[in-house]
Amino acid sequence: MAGILDVPKPRINCSMLSQHINRAVCFVGRVEKVHPTGKTFSVSDGEGNNATVELNEPLEEELSGIVEVIGMVSNKGAIMATTYDVLREDKGTPFDLELYNEAVKLIHDFPQHYPFEVAASG
Amino acid sequence: MSVRLTEGAVEALFKGVEVNNPMLQLLSIRQIGAPSASPRFRLMMSDGQHSLSSVILATQLNYLIEQNLLVPNCVCLLKKIIINTLADGRHVVIVMDLEILQSAEETGGKIGNPTPCSADGKNSSPKKVSSSTSVSASPPSAAVPGTSYSSSNTAFSASGGRGRGFTGKAPVNASPMKASPMKASPMKASPMKASPMKASPMKASPMKASPMKTSPMKASPMKASPMKASPMKANSASPAKAMSIANLNPYQSKWTIRARVTNKSNIRTWSNSRGEGKLFSFEIVDESGEIKITAFNNEVDKFFSLVEQGKVYYISKATLKAANKQYTTLKHEYEMTLHANSSIVPCDDIQGVPTLNCDFVPIAELENRDKDAIIDLIGVCKSAEDVSRITTKSSREVSKRELSLIDTTGKVVTVTLWGDEAEKFDSSGQPVVAIKGARLSDFGGRSLSALFSSTVMVNPDIPEAFRLRAWYDKEGYALDSQSLTETRSSVSGSRMNWKMLSDVKSESMGHGEKADYFSCIATVVYIRKENCLYQACPSADCNKKVIDQQNGLYRCEKCNRDFPNFKYRLLLSANLADFGDNQWVTCFQETAEVLLGHSAEALGQLRDTDEDAFDEVFQKATFRTHIFKNRAKLETYNDECRVKVTVLEVLPVNHREYSRRLLSNIHKLAS
Repeated sequence: MAGILDVPKPRINCSMLSQHINRAVCFVGRVEKVHPTGKTFSVSDGEGNNATVELNEPLEEELSGIVEVIGMVSNKGAIMATTYDVLREDKGTPFDLELYNEAVKLIHDFPQHYPFEVAASG
Repeated sequence: MSVRLTEGAVEALFKGVEVNNPMLQLLSIRQIGAPSASPRFRLMMSDGQHSLSSVILATQLNYLIEQNLLVPNCVCLLKKIIINTLADGRHVVIVMDLEILQSAEETGGKIGNPTPCSADGKNSSPKKVSSSTSVSASPPSAAVPGTSYSSSNTAFSASGGRGRGFTGKAPVNASPMKASPMKASPMKASPMKASPMKASPMKASPMKASPMKTSPMKASPMKASPMKASPMKANSASPAKAMSIANLNPYQSKWTIRARVTNKSNIRTWSNSRGEGKLFSFEIVDESGEIKITAFNNEVDKFFSLVEQGKVYYISKATLKAANKQYTTLKHEYEMTLHANSSIVPCDDIQGVPTLNCDFVPIAELENRDKDAIIDLIGVCKSAEDVSRITTKSSREVSKRELSLIDTTGKVVTVTLWGDEAEKFDSSGQPVVAIKGARLSDFGGRSLSALFSSTVMVNPDIPEAFRLRAWYDKEGYALDSQSLTETRSSVSGSRMNWKMLSDVKSESMGHGEKADYFSCIATVVYIRKENCLYQACPSADCNKKVIDQQNGLYRCEKCNRDFPNFKYRLLLSANLADFGDNQWVTCFQETAEVLLGHSAEALGQLRDTDEDAFDEVFQKATFRTHIFKNRAKLETYNDECRVKVTVLEVLPVNHREYSRRLLSNIHKLAS
C-alpha cells in the first residue's frame, strides 16, 4: 500500500483506462452493481461508461453512491483497488459527476498545465 | 350589313398580335376611372366571331362618346392602336384613332355571335353556373347574352353577392355596365390594368381565382359584376397587382404593396437645432421581406390612427430611400417615408401575408452571438419578477420587469421588459413569449433587453409557439436548466461581471467617471483588527460616527443630538487575494458581519471582554474563500488619488457554477 501512495495517481475516467494499464490511477464513479461475493463491483463514470473494481478483501457493508477508488489498472482494464473512499452525499453540495468528468478530460487535454510528475521537494 | 367586320381580328388582338385597320363592331362602352379624374372608356369590340373587352379609348377620343357619336353597335375602323402587355401577360388594346364607318342605327344590331376571348378558350361560366343549362350547352356564353347574364349573375351572387344590377335582358351593351366604375388611374399608364378587375375578385376571395382571371376578359356580364361590386370603388389608389417588399427600390415610382404591420411605434417628438417635429414609424412584412416606414409631422396625424399593428394594408406612393441602419434593425436596404400623396388602404384579403417574420435564435446559441446583437427569441416564460421601478441616470423613472425564458435547448435566459410592456405583461400560466428585435447584452453573462423598437408577443399564433408549448408541457417544466444569466443565483441588481483581482490594476478599474462594478472569487488573507469597530449614532438610518463627550453622552453631528448610547458598527479593512494579485478592500457593516460571522454588537462586547476570543474570530475568518461583489472607484483623499474598492456583497462560492465558468473560460481560451 505504501508503494502506491508515493506515486502520482492521475484521475481518469473509463475511456482512459486502456492507456493506464499497469499504472496507478484514481477513479471516481458511482457504484452500480456489487457482486454477491462482495469482492468486486462495477462503477459508472460521468460519461455513463462502466468499469469493474476488484478488491483484496470482500466488502463488509453495502456500498452505494459515489466512491473514489485508488488502485492499479489490470491488463483486462479492471481496477485492482488498494483503497477506496465513499463521498458523503448527505452533507454539502452534491457531487456533480458530469462536471467532474469534464474536469478530468481537461486535465488530460492539457498535460502541459497539469503535470503528473512527482513534485520535487524544495 | 354593308360592312364586313375583320374576322379573326379580335382573337389576334387578344393574343397581342398587331392588326392593321381592323373593322370591329362596338358592343358596349364602360366608363372607368375616378369620377373626379377625366373619364376613360373601356370598349368591348367584336369582329363577329369574338369579342374583346380589354380595349381602351384614348382620352383624345373621349369626345366621340360624349357627343354620342360612338355608341354601341356601331361599326368602327381602328386606324391606330397600341397594344400593351400587362405584367401577367394579358394584352390591352388602346385605340388612338378610329373612324366610325357605320352608325348603330344603320347596323341594326349585333353582328354575328361573338364569343368572348379567353385564354383557355372556354368560358368560365359553365364552371360557375352548373345549373344553367343554357350556358353550358352553348359555346361561350355570349351566344345567349340574356341567359348568360342571369346565370353569371346568379353565379356571382351565389358566390359573393357581387353580380348586381344585371337584369339579364339586353345584350351586353346594357347600361348597367356603363355604370360600373373602374379605376382610371392605372389606365392612364400604359399597361391597362385589367388587373384591378382581376385583383378585386381575387383579393375579395369569394370568387375562384382562376375563372375570374379569365372571365373579365371574356364575358362582359361577368366582368361587370366584380367590378361593380369591387370595394375599390371608393379608393382612387387602385391596388394594382401587389409588388413584393423585397423588390422595392427608389427607382420605381408606381408600386403597391400589401403587407401586415408588425411593429408600430408611438409618436415621438424631437427638438433639435434644426427645428422640431413629430414622427412615428412602423414595420411591415409580406411574404418576401420586411421594411420600415416612417411618417413625419402631417402624415403622423393622417396615418397614426389608421395604421394598426397586426392588420394588413395596401400601401402605395411613398418615398423610398436608403435605410438608416442606426435606427432600424431590419435587413432591407431601403426604408419608406410617407408623404402627402401616400395611400394606405386596409386590405381584407390577408392570404399569404405572414404574421411576423422572425428568425428565432435558440437560447443555447446566444452565447455565441455578439453582445449588442439584435435578435429574435422565443421561449416559455418560466417565471417573472414583479414590476420594479428604476430611476435611470437621466432621472427618469422607468418600470422594468425581468422574465426567465426557457426553450427546447434547455437553457434559460433573462429578458428585461421596460415601460408599458413591463407593466402590461401577464406571466400567469407560463405563456410562450416571442420577442423580435431584442438586444443581446453581456449583463450577467447573457441577457436580453427589449428595445423601444422590439415587439413582444405573448402566446403568438405561430408554429414555433405551439411547438414550444407542447414541449414545455411534456418535459420542459421539469427541466432544471442552466441559466445563461448568472444573476439568477444572486440578488439581481448588481452585475456579475467576473474579473480577477489583477484586472483591477490592468484594466484601470474605477478610473472612469463611473465606478466599476465587478465580481471576483478571492480569499481573505488579512483583516485589520485595529479600528474595525466604531461608535455610531443609535438612531435608525444614521450611521454617522458619534463623538464621545466624555460625560456619558455621545454627540451625533448629523442628527445634531446627544445620545447616552451608541451602536457598534463594523468598518473592516481587509486584504483579498487570488492567484494573480491581492487587493485591499473596505467592508461595511453588512459584508463585514458575513465575513466575520458575528454581529457588530457581539464583537464590540467581545473586544471589551475577551481579547483572545476576539482575535480568534479574525483568525477563523482569514483564509476563507468567497465570492465578492465589489465597486472600484478612484477617490481623492487629501491630494492623493487612490482606487478604493468597496465590498458590496459577500457570497459563498458555488463550486459547480465556478467550475462550469472555469471550464467554459478554458475552452474559450483554448479555441
